Amino acid sequence: MNSYNLAAIAFTLFSIAAAGFLTCGNLVRMLMFLELMLNAANIALVALGHNAASQAYAAMLFAVAAAEAGVGLALIISLASVFRTLEPENIKELKG
Amino acid sequence: MILNVAVYLCAAAAALSTLLMLFQHNPVKAALLMLTALLATAGIYLALSAQLLAMLQVILYAGAIMTLFIIALTVTPAAWRDKPASARVARVLGLAAAAVILTELLRVSTALKAAAGLPQFSETGTLAIARELFGRFAFQFELLSLVILASIVGAIALVSKRRTAQ
Repeated sequence: MNSYNLAAIAFTLFSIAAAGFLTCGNLVRMLMFLELMLNAANIALVALGHNAASQAYAAMLFAVAAAEAGVGLALIISLASVFRTLEPENIKELKG
Repeated sequence: MILNVAVYLCAAAAALSTLLMLFQHNPVKAALLMLTALLATAGIYLALSAQLLAMLQVILYAGAIMTLFIIALTVTPAAWRDKPASARVARVLGLAAAAVILTELLRVSTALKAAAGLPQFSETGTLAIARELFGRFAFQFELLSLVILASIVGAIALVSKRRTAQ
């Protein structure tokens, strides 16, 4: 297995997740697909790096993903309580 | 050889469950499919001899982040009234955009074909990763704790503001 095959695996996973992000109409689902995109990027980092430094970076990315999920879900919950919807098309106002 | 087959099998499982997520209307079933994709990713890490990352993937992604998603799905009742399908044009456009992204990424990375692939996956021990994290990347690692602290404070501030407003 050469590096190209490993990269192709990561890119395929990334594109399927990107397709989901672009087509679904629900904020929680969009965040799920965003996490899967980050996951695919992590796979590329580990598969193409092959040394301790890339795995250290991947471990740090795990923490970034956890922080992102926490803040994102808190934002979505507060948005849903204000607008009573989770569909991004119905959220049009930006008033504070 | 077995490791190569394992990588391909786990990648196929991850891709299949992500694809099924696209067409799943029930949000909890979609979350379980995402869990399958994350566990398959842990399998890829194991096959690539990154044991620590596989464990972290199971604990952090499949454990902590999935719990967050399930809680968010139960807290927001609007999630249950999921729209059956978005507009067909938007769906086709999204899939076309993803296909373009994939072909471009594959075209850009053709240079990797010439790069010498590793004949054997080398084992990277936990000690070597710890040496990198606490040696060369110590500053970045400490900065990461600030990022997590900021996210905790932000999440609590967002939710508590909503409570006081009501």
